[in-house]
Order: sequence, then C-alpha cells, then structure tokens
Amino acid sequence: MRRILIVALAIACAGCATVTPVKPWEKGELARPSMQFDNDRLEAKYTEHIYQSKEMASGGHGVGGGGCGCN
Amino acid sequence: MAATEAKSAAINPLLAAALALPGILPAAALAQSMPDQGIFSVNYLDYRDWQPGADRMSVKSPSFYVLAPFADKWTFEGSVVYDAMSGASPLYFNTLSGASGTGITEYRTAGDAKVTRYFDRYSIGVGGAYSHERDYISRAGSLDVRWWTADHNTTFAFGFAGNADYIHPADRELDNGRRHTLDFLAGVTQNLSPVDIVQSNITYSTGHGYYSDPYKLLDTRPDERRIWAWLTRYNHRFVQPDATLQLGYRYLNDSFGGDSHAFDVAWVQSLPGNVTLTPSFRYYTQGAADFFFGPPFPQGFQFGQSFTADTRLSAFGAMTAGIKVAKVFADGWGINLSFDFYRQRSGWRAFGAGSDGIEAFSARWINAGVSKAF
Repeated sequence: MRRILIVALAIACAGCATVTPVKPWEKGELARPSMQFDNDRLEAKYTEHIYQSKEMASGGHGVGGGGCGCN
Repeated sequence: MAATEAKSAAINPLLAAALALPGILPAAALAQSMPDQGIFSVNYLDYRDWQPGADRMSVKSPSFYVLAPFADKWTFEGSVVYDAMSGASPLYFNTLSGASGTGITEYRTAGDAKVTRYFDRYSIGVGGAYSHERDYISRAGSLDVRWWTADHNTTFAFGFAGNADYIHPADRELDNGRRHTLDFLAGVTQNLSPVDIVQSNITYSTGHGYYSDPYKLLDTRPDERRIWAWLTRYNHRFVQPDATLQLGYRYLNDSFGGDSHAFDVAWVQSLPGNVTLTPSFRYYTQGAADFFFGPPFPQGFQFGQSFTADTRLSAFGAMTAGIKVAKVFADGWGINLSFDFYRQRSGWRAFGAGSDGIEAFSARWINAGVSKAF
C-alpha cells in the first residue's frame, strides 16, 4: 500500500508541476456544472450509499458521512 | 482533440473581454473558493434488488439538500434523508432471511450539516452527521481544510472525521455492539487546461469494534479494519459537440482482504433547450475477504476463526449502466430523472477468479429530483 501511496502522490505532484496555469479569462468551460466533481450532491450521496451497502467497502470520496446498518 | 482545443483557444479572447466586466465572473473562476450561489434540491429515490427467482430489498427514499452562502464568508450545507426499506436480505450465502423469504420492514433517518468559513486562500469546514435505525445509530464529526493557490488553479484538501456507531439488534443483546472509526483524507484538484480538470484523493480509514453482521448466520468478523482508497477523477470538456467526458478510477485496499477496482465513465451531452443527457457506465471488481469461504458448507472454516457467508464479501465483478436527463430553466429551477441498472456476477471478476456457487445479484434504481439555485 505504501508504494501505491508514493506513486499516487508522485503523479499528483508531477501533474501539478508541469501544467501551464489557466488564466481567469480561460475558465468559462471549467465553469460548467458538468465540469464540477459531484455537482449533484444528493445524487453522489445516494450512489455512494448504494455501492457501500452492496459491495465490500467504500472510500475515496470524502470523510465524515457517518455509517449505517446496511453494511 | 486538436481541433477542439483550437476552437476553445479562439473563444478565449471573447471570454476574456466579457469576464473583464465586473459582476459576470463565472463560478469557475471562483471554483476553488466560496460558492457564490445557493441551491436546494429535493429527490425521490426508488430502489429495488433481486436474485434469480426471488425479490430482495425495496427502498423508497425521499431526500433534501441545501447549500446556502451567508454573512459574506460563510456557507451552510446540509441534507436529510428518510429510507423506508422492506424485503429480505440473505441470511446465509443466497438463502434469504425469514421462513418465506419475505423479510422485514425497517426505517432509517439520517442527516448531516456542515458550516464552512472562507478566507482569501483557504477554508475551514466543520460538520456532523447522524443516522438512526431501530437497531443501529451512527454519529460522525468532521473537519476539513482546503487551501488553494493564488491563481485558483490548484486546491489541496485535508479532511478528518471520527465516527461512533452503536449496533443493538432487536432479537438479542450484544456484549459490545460499538464501533469507532477515524477517517483521513488528502486530495488535490488541478485545472490542467481551459478544458481539463483532475482530482485525486487518498483516504485512510481505521476502526475497531463490532464489524460482524448480527443477522447473518455464523458471521464473525475481525474487530479491526483499515481501508486505503485512492480515487482519481478527470473531466474533459468538448466545446464541440458541447459535451463533457467524465472519467474516474478508484483503487481500494481493505484489511479484510480483497483489493477492489472501480472504473467510471459518463458522457454529459448538452441538447437544445438547456437539456443534458448523460449515459454512464461503471465497472467494479473485488477479491474475496480473507474469511469468506464458499458454499454450501464453509470449506476451510475452523471454529474460532473469522467467517462470513455474506456474498458482498465474495469475489465478483459488477457493472452499472445508467442514463440521466436534466433540464435547467431560466429562473434557476431544474429537474432531473435518472435510471440505473446494476448487476453482480462472480464470473465478471477481473484480476482473478470469482467465488464459486454465488447467485447473480441485480438492482435498479430510479431517481427524480427538483432543484432551485438562489
């Protein structure tokens, strides 16, 4: 697992270091709702909840959502 | 791709001129800081699942969500959900609970709330969550800190949460039905170009306490659990044909055993009349927990060791196909309707063999929602 953590951090840092900064006037397309992660919060919540209750485990999206008796 | 980017670049001078006017800076320019708009939404979810020859659970679930900026530098975010569940769940492998397999009726009420204070270059959020069932109570508290670069192109996120769960089955008293969990998150969101954005999160969860399922026969699980998850998501905007490609991959490592991989793809296509159509697909695969032994009788099981016949902890693959249609009106109202179909099969497992003797499992869910931006 430690190797995966190092690889993930290396990819993230390398990606951030090499991109050309996007100017404020270039962010029109990034403004679109479809470009936001989890733009529909309720949809994201129930989808994560369904997968959490039907598969072995969940994680990656956030913290602090609380548990349930479904798994 | 090159043509798309060229068109995007050609549009930029016009956008630059427009954005130079005060008051019309789009939300994206502020995407890494405080939202400038509130929203509330109401959803109704209808869920049903089944296995060959038998219906299992059915859930009707209304929910409410609000995000509201206030006092210039603050936001409040909260949601409430009510689940009405009925049907039967497996008691032992695919054998359903209850003599007739008709099962039970259960209700769950859950809510969460979060207050965030925004500063020039960072934000601090404090939240709480509560979930109540007749036999299960969960409480959680969380803290998250976000820090973004001066150009708002990179945001780092750090989160911490503590969960306390209390399990008290209706038909018996457990010696210690408590579970405590700590969750940690570190993530980065990066604008890669005017049409590309990526997010990568790593979460770690460590917990101890009661992890067994009191309603499954012979279920005895370890009393400690650690989960690593690495989630990476990437969105690409196609200016023509006015669409967005959304990709996601999650790797998860669970101390119960059995790594899992999840791949997501969605295509958000804009149509005339402020309508979007979003087909989506997900593939998921997991290995079995170390203490899952195959049916009919748990082969290899020894008394005193952990054991589960819970098929959710078996080795399988799963696919989800979905379609969503949404429309936004000029006054800020929006409506959406989605349908998803999900199926698990042991034969669909990747990176190894699936568990033998497990029935296929299917589910479908339909969601209808109304929202209003303000």
